[in-house]
Amino acid sequence: MSLVASARWSQARIAAALALGAWGVLFWTLLVTGRTSLYLSSRTAWLVPMGAVIFTVAALGRLATARTMDDEPLDRRTAWTLGAITLPVVLILALPPATLGTYSVGKRATFGGSAIGASARDVTGPLDFVDIGAAQSFPAAMRQLETRAGEPITLEGFVSKEASAPDEILLTRYIVTCCVADATIAQVRIVGLQPADYADDEWLQVTGNVYPVGREVLVAADSGTVQQIPVPDQPYLMP
Amino acid sequence: MATRTHTHERLPTPTTETPDRTWLVVVASLVAVAVAARFAHPTQAAWLRNLFIVFGSLLIEAMPFVALGALVSALIEVFVPASTFAKLATLPRAVQLPAAAMAGIAFPVCECGSVPVARRLARKGLAPAAAVTFMLAAPIVNPVVIASTFVAYRGRDSLWVMVIGRFTIGMLVAICVGWVIGARTPGELLRGASVDDEPDDHDEPRARRFFTHLTGDLIFMARFLIVGALIAATIQTFIPSSVVDHVATLPILSLLAMMALAFILSLCSESDAFVAASFTSFGPSAQLAFLVFGPMVDLKLGALYLGTYSKGFLRTVVIVVTAVTLVATLWVQVVWG
Repeated sequence: MSLVASARWSQARIAAALALGAWGVLFWTLLVTGRTSLYLSSRTAWLVPMGAVIFTVAALGRLATARTMDDEPLDRRTAWTLGAITLPVVLILALPPATLGTYSVGKRATFGGSAIGASARDVTGPLDFVDIGAAQSFPAAMRQLETRAGEPITLEGFVSKEASAPDEILLTRYIVTCCVADATIAQVRIVGLQPADYADDEWLQVTGNVYPVGREVLVAADSGTVQQIPVPDQPYLMP
Repeated sequence: MATRTHTHERLPTPTTETPDRTWLVVVASLVAVAVAARFAHPTQAAWLRNLFIVFGSLLIEAMPFVALGALVSALIEVFVPASTFAKLATLPRAVQLPAAAMAGIAFPVCECGSVPVARRLARKGLAPAAAVTFMLAAPIVNPVVIASTFVAYRGRDSLWVMVIGRFTIGMLVAICVGWVIGARTPGELLRGASVDDEPDDHDEPRARRFFTHLTGDLIFMARFLIVGALIAATIQTFIPSSVVDHVATLPILSLLAMMALAFILSLCSESDAFVAASFTSFGPSAQLAFLVFGPMVDLKLGALYLGTYSKGFLRTVVIVVTAVTLVATLWVQVVWG
């Protein structure tokens, strides 16, 4: 009998190919559906196609070399190991898309991208959450913001309320540098609204006038200039 | 031509004639998890949603780096002759270690990618001390990380302290760890994977060897990364980063607190400068401690080290990295404030 004729499919190698293929499917899915922005910033989004290609190549290569001369059954330990490797893929694909919300606000640092803070001096267009986050961290950026006190501003973010100030609402946005694990926050206090009308994690577009006060930023608005919006396609800001 | 089994993949040898149907249970479990995740709405619990998102983001960012590291590792295994590393291993350690640290400049990936490469280098014949030095230095001294540190601190008085300090102290710490590792052999350093354990597959076609090593390294690293990411995500979910704020002005405690925070957060070295910069209540030295310590020792790396290296390696790395980082950043604190 020739060597080729006696080669047989290795269960263990096929299972490994499937586990790696699952990761390839995850990265392709993120790429195709645009869900990358739920996990990574635009500056690291290139990792997704790279991961898709490498995992796909690895899976196909493993499959192409899965015929062996020796028996390689899939033993218990290997099966559970490969299952554990596949589990995060199953979770990420099966869970409905979600973003960080109010729960994480108290556990995150305030955004402090000094590059943005420094460039705030040159901002001539509309102010945004990144400028505000920088102003809350850097005196120079705050001084810049103070020169624009009273200017109109339109912000999109989610509602978070403080237990210590139930009669006010905070509008919050996460700023992500590489991945959501490094998210920091930018926040403004909205005055002029009835907090009871708005729930935690509700996304709003608020138009008002900006007023830096100390290290805080207030936005004076009224209910006529506030509207509920769906979660944006880019829920995290990426400076 | 016979194909040998790869020990580091833990591919089995037949032990019973009864077919093992564990895989059916595994597949059924995965399907059950998928159904529960889809229809039981677990993310309605805010903490669980937070946990899943952070866990997923850590993995989605780190897995491609691990894959890239495994790819480079497989290429080294298949295309670089062992004699190349054997020659390097004959150089004096005083030359080898700084050279290994400098080699990190040419390897622009984060810390997860450098672990499989260092493992491969050590198995291929490079002195393990040099391989470890490379592994620790690469995530700090590569150009992408230097550039991200520059961008994060641009416009601040401490810009050059942070950029030059991170590079210099990172090199110093990596070399010190390499020095402490000393003359340990791959068999003493690598967990259950001495040189003798390497499959003797050199007679096989290169493509087959390449995929065997690529998939073996990927599966080997992935499981530890998943465990580390899960622990990091759990801690991030329950412990606020502000927990360290009250020691921000204390001389040594501030350094230790920022190192502890870097350990917990397990951030990628290409993004951690932006997070460090947000801790404005801490001085440059404490932020430097965060930026040097994190890419060398954190929760997900701890899991990778435990899986890759022998017992005691993690302890050695933690002790040396902590001590040298503390002394160096304390010096920066004294000089710079």
